[in-house]
Amino acid sequence: MAKKKCVAMLLAGGKGSRLNSLTKDLAKPAVPFGGKYRIIDFTLSNCTNSGIDTVGVLTQYQPLLLNSYIGIGSAWDLDRKDGGVTVLPPYSESSDVKWYTGTASAIFQNLNYLRQYQPDYVLILSGDHIYKMNYEDMLNYHIEKKADVTISLIEVPWDEASRFGIMNTDQNMRIIDFEEKPSQPKNNLASMGIYIFNWHILQEYLEMDDRKSNSCHDFGKDIIPAMLKSNKKMFAYPFKGYWKDVGTIRSLWEANMDLLKEDCELDLFDYDWRIYSVNPNRPPQYIAPSAIVKDSLINEGCTIEGDIDHSVLFHGVEVGAYSRIKESVIMPDTVIGKNCFIEKAIVQYDCAIPDGTVIRPLDDEIILVTREMLSGLRSAAN
Amino acid sequence: MKRKLLGVIDATTYHEDLEDLIIHRSLAALPFAGRYRIIDFILSNMVNSGIRSVAIFPKMQYRSLMDHLGSGKEWDLNRKRDGLFFFPSSIIDADPHRVGSFELFAANMDYFYRSTQEYAIIANCYTVFNMNFRSLMEWHEESGCDITEIHDRNGRPLEIYLTKTSLLIKLIETRLQTGYTCMKDVVTDIHNEFSICHYQYDGYAAMIDSIENYYTTSLNLLQSEVWKELFAKERPIFTKVKDEPPTKYLNGSSVRGSMIANGCIIHGTVENSIVSRGVKIGKGTVIKNCIIMQKCQIEDNCYLDSVILDKDVMIEAGTHLTGSARSPYVVRKGIKQGALMNS
Repeated sequence: MAKKKCVAMLLAGGKGSRLNSLTKDLAKPAVPFGGKYRIIDFTLSNCTNSGIDTVGVLTQYQPLLLNSYIGIGSAWDLDRKDGGVTVLPPYSESSDVKWYTGTASAIFQNLNYLRQYQPDYVLILSGDHIYKMNYEDMLNYHIEKKADVTISLIEVPWDEASRFGIMNTDQNMRIIDFEEKPSQPKNNLASMGIYIFNWHILQEYLEMDDRKSNSCHDFGKDIIPAMLKSNKKMFAYPFKGYWKDVGTIRSLWEANMDLLKEDCELDLFDYDWRIYSVNPNRPPQYIAPSAIVKDSLINEGCTIEGDIDHSVLFHGVEVGAYSRIKESVIMPDTVIGKNCFIEKAIVQYDCAIPDGTVIRPLDDEIILVTREMLSGLRSAAN
Repeated sequence: MKRKLLGVIDATTYHEDLEDLIIHRSLAALPFAGRYRIIDFILSNMVNSGIRSVAIFPKMQYRSLMDHLGSGKEWDLNRKRDGLFFFPSSIIDADPHRVGSFELFAANMDYFYRSTQEYAIIANCYTVFNMNFRSLMEWHEESGCDITEIHDRNGRPLEIYLTKTSLLIKLIETRLQTGYTCMKDVVTDIHNEFSICHYQYDGYAAMIDSIENYYTTSLNLLQSEVWKELFAKERPIFTKVKDEPPTKYLNGSSVRGSMIANGCIIHGTVENSIVSRGVKIGKGTVIKNCIIMQKCQIEDNCYLDSVILDKDVMIEAGTHLTGSARSPYVVRKGIKQGALMNS
């Protein structure tokens, strides 16, 4: 196989347990977002747009949908003769089955995949985040700094800093300190979970880490601290722009609402940096004479007879007459009957909302409406 | 199962009444229904009916058609065996409008000789309908007819024919002796030696052959019964996908009774119109009874009624354009129309 300068490893095995029942039967990277996309589309599109044509996608939790969604990668132009996308599930060896116990163990178990390409650099990505980033710029920065490791970082609000890996740097952006999810953060520069490693150093440390019995086999908790300890040249790459870890129902809702802002930082209409996705091939949306649509994002295949205000509707959604949808996210193929009122909710895909249903929060909560919930309601009514 | 049917699409037609819209493209590639080209209907019908080998014969201006079809992947026709075949004409003739499709088929006889399918459907590229050919096939086999032509529910011929591939080959081979230049010549010749039957198709069907008819057929899509039939979920119409984001409706927009494709940014008012992919409609602009094709930009405070904008048209702020149902105002592809250039 041809040697590659840079191979990307995309960690897509996350459960996203704080997304509750939304991730009951699909992994977090497969969660629908923005009226058309799944979260992983952003990272995969970034790879293609950055000229990275070899991507290993590591799946573990509920992989069925994700695996078939990625397919051979043609949606992202990653169906390549040499390289392209390869889904890497956990596998068994002669002695035992090896689950991915941590982010580092997932990469360690696929060192053979990387060895085929003899890359100079390995880019580690997470499939959980929504952002547009040129990895080529980051790689050039890494090369310029003659770094062993480069970690991309972003400023986060102080009160959220303890959710992230926090970095302290000197004036040259060399990392002098790294704390994973600190209770008392010293600053608010958070790791985005994007790393570029020189291949040989990565290989060395992963092998070393595998032999440690007390390791969590995690990049943030084990690999990065070990490299810092032995004084490797580690640099921070500051990223400016939209970046969101949609870990909770509220942050998923917020990220969708962000798209409705007129000056949204995450420009989906930028033809120079398209976000690719598996296109559902539906007819155009039909906005009936009785409909009122404003301030919203609506995908193809929708039939709208009601009133849509400040909402995001995925493909194939139907909204009946006299229904009102306000500040909500309606996932694919959900059918909403007549005379409904839905406010501040995320409605799961393939739901059927009966005529006259009212869904509105009592306090500042965001309501998650699932199929399970609706069938519970139906049986209670009977 | 051995594949029984061959699909042959005659994309050579040129309708002068459509000139403004087909000056730069083959009629087969005429944009329709916001995100399709008219050939998508016959091509998807063939694929949805189990046809796995389709030959397309274009004559002129086939660049846009070729770009649209690509390898046939969107129709699942990028196959190792059979699949999509594209046969541009090699005939250079003084009057290209008068070369019949048999002449073009004849230049590619090997395709017909090599095909193992027993029957062939020979269809035009400009009929808008959603039909499963399986029952037609059964009907034809039982009837024992040589050639079956599909008629619409009003008894009008749709110029779509089903016959044995061997008979098609014979018709092509003997074209100089018989004088038949295309299938239509055969079935309209009252002295022909074949048994010709009619199969009535009761669904919605429209043939696009003039601007007026393109316009009314397009606006008919806004009737939900037409819409639901043409875009039946179980028989999807496939087309080239474009990776457009969902359409964004800004604060102040008002859209009703319209069909809107993806990738649009709408700030103004849209009524009773078809808007294609990637169109921008400015603030204070009113669009009524219009067909707006891909990537048009209509700036602020314009008023457009009964207008067809071909692709990539730019309408400058404050422009007023009005046509009528019988004669919609057509702006040709790529034109920049300013407020001072009003008709």
